[in-house]
Order: sequence, then C-alpha cells, then structure tokens
Amino acid sequence: MSQPVQSRQLILDRIHAATPSAAGDATQLADAYAALPRAYIRRGSLSVPARVELMIQRLREYDAEVVECAPAELADTITAQLAASGRHLFVAPPGAPPDWMVTSAWKITGLEWTLDHGLDLSEIEKAEGVVTAATCGIADSGTIVLHHSATEGRRVMTLLPDWYLCILRASQIVETLPEYFSRCQQPPALATYISGPSATADIEMTRIKGVHGPRTLVVIVVRDDK
Amino acid sequence: MSHATPGRISLDPRFAPPFPQAAEQMLRNPQLRKNVGHAIDVIQAKRGKLVVEKADWQELRSAASAIRFHVLDNLGAYLEQFEARCTAAGGHVHWAADAAEARQIILDLLRQENATEVIKIKTMTSAEIQLNPFLQAAGINAYETDLAEIILQLGDEEPSHIVVPALHINRSQVREIFARAMGLKNLSSEPKELTNAARTYLRKKFLTVPAAISGANFLVAETGTVAIVESEGNGRMCLTLPQTMISLVGIEKVLPRFQDLEVMLQLLARSAVGERMNPYTSLWTGVTPGDGPQNFHVVLLDNGRSRILAKNKERQTLKCIRCAACMNSCPVYRQTGGHAYGSVYPGPIGAILTPQLMRMKYARTLPYASSLCGACYEVCPVKINIPEVLLELRSQVVNQERKQAGRFFDLMYLGLRIANLIFATAWGFHAAQRMGRVGLRFFTRKDGWIHALPSIGAKWTQTRDLRGLPKQTFHQWWATRTKEGK
Repeated sequence: MSQPVQSRQLILDRIHAATPSAAGDATQLADAYAALPRAYIRRGSLSVPARVELMIQRLREYDAEVVECAPAELADTITAQLAASGRHLFVAPPGAPPDWMVTSAWKITGLEWTLDHGLDLSEIEKAEGVVTAATCGIADSGTIVLHHSATEGRRVMTLLPDWYLCILRASQIVETLPEYFSRCQQPPALATYISGPSATADIEMTRIKGVHGPRTLVVIVVRDDK
Repeated sequence: MSHATPGRISLDPRFAPPFPQAAEQMLRNPQLRKNVGHAIDVIQAKRGKLVVEKADWQELRSAASAIRFHVLDNLGAYLEQFEARCTAAGGHVHWAADAAEARQIILDLLRQENATEVIKIKTMTSAEIQLNPFLQAAGINAYETDLAEIILQLGDEEPSHIVVPALHINRSQVREIFARAMGLKNLSSEPKELTNAARTYLRKKFLTVPAAISGANFLVAETGTVAIVESEGNGRMCLTLPQTMISLVGIEKVLPRFQDLEVMLQLLARSAVGERMNPYTSLWTGVTPGDGPQNFHVVLLDNGRSRILAKNKERQTLKCIRCAACMNSCPVYRQTGGHAYGSVYPGPIGAILTPQLMRMKYARTLPYASSLCGACYEVCPVKINIPEVLLELRSQVVNQERKQAGRFFDLMYLGLRIANLIFATAWGFHAAQRMGRVGLRFFTRKDGWIHALPSIGAKWTQTRDLRGLPKQTFHQWWATRTKEGK
C-alpha cells in the first residue's frame, strides 16, 4: 500500500533541493512573477464593426453557421433557425429568457421546450438541440467562451444535443485572447472555450466535423453595437 | 492478431531495441513512411500559415519560456498553492513519487468506487506509467475515447506521435481494425463513416461508465483549476458525465496564474495541429455541485521529474507543453516515425526526455537520434533548446561508456585517447601532421582527391571522397609570409 503523505514530503523535499534559487516568500515570488517579460499583443487594434466581422469570418471558417440580427429581431431569428433545423425537441438552461422560447413555441407546431431544472442525462440526451447564451467571443480565434452561468447552462447541456444554437451579443466580442483574460478579474470555476464544432483529424489528417459534441454549431450574433 | 504496422517495437525503453536498429526496421516500411510523411506535411503546412499570421509569435514564445522557467524555479511553492486551492474547491490531491505508486493510487480510487470500467481522455502520463495493462490485470477495463487512441486500442497498436498518435495508420487500415473489432462488415474507408462508427461505439460508454481518467494540459496554482484542450468532445464527455474523475498530471504542468493561459493557449493549438484554437478547451476547479463529477482527484506524478529539475542544462526539458511541434519539424522523425524511438515520447522531445526519465540507464541511443539541425528549437513554443540538451546527454553517455572497463581497449576509444595525447601539445600536433601528409600521399590520386583508404579509413571513403591535403598548412604558409616581410 502506498504512503501518500510520505511521498508528498519526499517529492517536495526533492523539488526544494533541486531549486536553490526559489523565491524565499510570497512577496519575492510575486515580484519575480511581475518581472516576467510580456511583450506580446494584449489589446487588439480593430474597430468594433471590424472586430465583429472577424469573429463571424473565423466562425464560418470553422464551419459554424452564423446569422446576424438586431436586438429586437432576436426572437424571430431564433424561431427561424429552429424551424430550419427541422428538429423539435429542444432544451435550454434554467436562466434562458422566456422570449427566446415563446415565439418559437407558438409559431412552430410540435416544437417542445424543456428547461434544465436538474434534468437527467437521458433527458438531455433525448433533446435534438440546445439554445444558450455565452460569456464572451474572441474574434482572433473565433472562440466562444462559456462560464456556465444560468443562461449558459451546465457543461453537459452544450455537449449531448447534436445541434447547438449559441446567442452571442456583439458587445461581448473582444479581439484578442488577452482581452478576454483581462476581463476575468474573478477567474471562473468552470469554463469551456468552443472554437467551431467538435472535430477530428485523426484519420489521415482529414478534418471531420462532429465526433462526440454537437455536430452543428449555429451562432446568432446580436448586433447590439449598432 | 494482424497489425497495421508489422514488426512491433516495444515502447518500454527497458525492452526497446537501440534506435539505429529500430530505425532501420521502420525505414524498410514504405507504407508507414508514406502515412507519416503525409500527416506531417498537412500539419506543417497548416502550422506555417498560422504562425506567420501571428505578429507577436516570438514575443509569445519568450513570455511562455519565461513563465515555464519561473514555474520550474519555484515549483514547490506553486504545487503547494495548487494543492491548497484545489482541495478548498472540493478536489483531492495525491502525490505519486513514481509510476508504481501512481498506478496503485488510481487503482485504489477506482476500487473505492467499485468501478470495473473506466473511460479515458488521451493522456501521455498514463501511457508513461503503463496504466492500461495494470488496470486490466486488476480486472478493470479501461476504454480509450480519443479517436486515434480507439484505433490503437482496438487494433492492438502502439502510439507513434504524442498529439496524433495514429498518424502512421491510414484509412483502409482503420477500416480493417474497426470492421473487425466492432463487427461492422459493410464499413467503408471514408473518414466520415469511420468517425461515425467510433461515435456510436462510445456513446453508451460515456453515458454509463461511472469513472474517468485524464491527464491535464495545465494546472493553475492561483485558482486550483485544471485545463484540458481537445478537439473531439470525448474529453468533455469524460470530464462531465461520470461521477468520479481522476487526473494524472506531471508535477511540472503547473502555471502560476489563470491569466498565464492567455499565453499558453495562443501557442499550443497553433504549434500542435495548426489551428488558431482547438475546438474545446475545458477548465474546472475542484467540484461544482450539480455540474460534472462530484468526486474529483488529481494525482501529481514525479516519476523522475524532480531529478531532471536538479540539473542545470537538462531542466528546460520540463518546460515542455507536449505540442509535438518538434517531432513534426524533425527530419529524423519524418523518416522513421515514432515507434523507432522505443518510448511513448518520440521525436526530439522524446530523445531528451526518455533517457532522463530512465536515469540514463536505458534509451541511451536516443540522444544520437538527431542531426542537431536545430529545427526543433526553432519551432518550440516554449523555447526548449533541444540540441543543447542532446549534446549534454551525449557527453553523459560517452562518460558512462568510458567508465565501463571493457571500453578502455575499444579501438575508437583507444584512438581518441591517443589523439587526445597528440593534440595536447603543439609539437605533437605538427609531427602528426607531417606524418599524416607523408602517409596520405600514397593514397592521393592525380586529381588531388583520395578515393579509397584501407582499413578503418574505408568507412569514410566507401561513400564519399576525401580531398588530399594541400602542400603546406596554414601555419607554414603564414610563417613563410611573415619571414618574407609581407
């Protein structure tokens, strides 16, 4: 049987013996950290429309479908996307605004919404699609950031359904990854960064969309910047 | 069972043949070389485009290198900080001094959960400690979930690359493996259909297996967060669906702060697969009620790392973020593929990491598996000077061999010792030059070239000619010139 406590001390002793130049205390450590060179680009230089344009372009390069709409058109745009998907069983996070669902449920016959108030895995698995909000968009890499708040849902929500509609507001889009991190003064306990739909290139480097996660990613960019 | 790659080579450095011998075997396999070459070409072309696009690539590399060195300098403090934060967030942290202890900790944890099956996210550390066969022997079935890993597991194959481990297997070979293992006779060799077969094969496992094992790309000391980057979503499945999650992580994988991910994530996917960002990056901190595993363990693995940390030149090996850019750029790897390295860590990084993990007792031919062209150093996102470490390890190999008694009378060592004596003094050197000049005159032909030498010298002239020595040395010419007052 292993002796975990002893191994902890053993490993730390070895490390301390191997690192004679380690900082003596927390202040010294913080100073050494602050002195690290960071000459890379922190802030982007694009105008707001150009930044949004770049985000859309990147998403499309990942084979995501992107639709733009004005804030007032959101409910209708969601409805159109749901109808176009040909699917009927949808789930949404517990904090999803009712106006995402009311119009579509009224206009599309047979459409069913289930809110995730502690759904079983099998219930989420049965859903044909999911609609959530996002925390941030990073234009440089076309990345959608989820911090899994009440409008973004548990992690499994955006994983099991095969069709994923994400609603991203233009004002949430930053240009560079460091700009996103500078917005995270309180680091999230959970986060998922999504850059295009699930994919693999394991067989002869041929990119195949959709291995285990949603095979279709649709993004509605709400132009609240205009 | 038939193998897609015949002539299997053990990836346990204790049993693997020396690199030159294994490499020769691989070079005789045209299918393997074609498969590897194709995959490398695709990745390199994509990477090249995306690196050029990044105006601050060199600044990112410098920052990443500095952050990783800073972590290594202060590894103890950052590991203790990670442990404290992860524990405060509901995770459990275990420390494993070596592979055997890590395997036992994981087995004990799985037994506590009465697990007879476990799903796995691709992890190099698990391959390093040979976890799967150990669990199998203990009655626990481990299912790999990464597409390439499934291909290897079902085909009873070995990985040949750390990011795309099945790159040596082509689509018709994958079809053969899947058709046999999944009982799908009518499967085509279209990558899309093969991928779908894997999706169906794994779906039920994801939803029913109660425990998962992963590695980690990064640990964040400041927050106790674990980060995994992946493409397929199998990782997200494993780290959100089961109730128990065990992450086996090398002690060197820690980063100081959450913000440091902004550097690493910009470099990693571009370097590894030539993408701006991999499809899925998951970050989690301990346990979150109602979301994901409620029983979370991190096993911190030393297994020789602290020993590498103690060495000045070699310590940079631990900066590695396992992107595989070095093997993708390596002219040697391109020709031999990964198996020739006889380790789960192939390519240039494997050539320096494996012998060090083996205390220089095994894999001693690996530091020579390089032309020292420096391509690996140039592409490394964290600026590991691999050629420098290769040379350091080569000198250690030579010193070790010299200490072995039998080596004293070895022709080459004897020759080098004599050369050492001769070259130590100016008169000895000049005398040797004069004798060499006289001796070589017998072999120099009219065209000024030596086409054939006898005995040991033939090893050189068998494949190339040697230019005859000029009439005078530079020293002689300079002395005459000075005498003539020029």
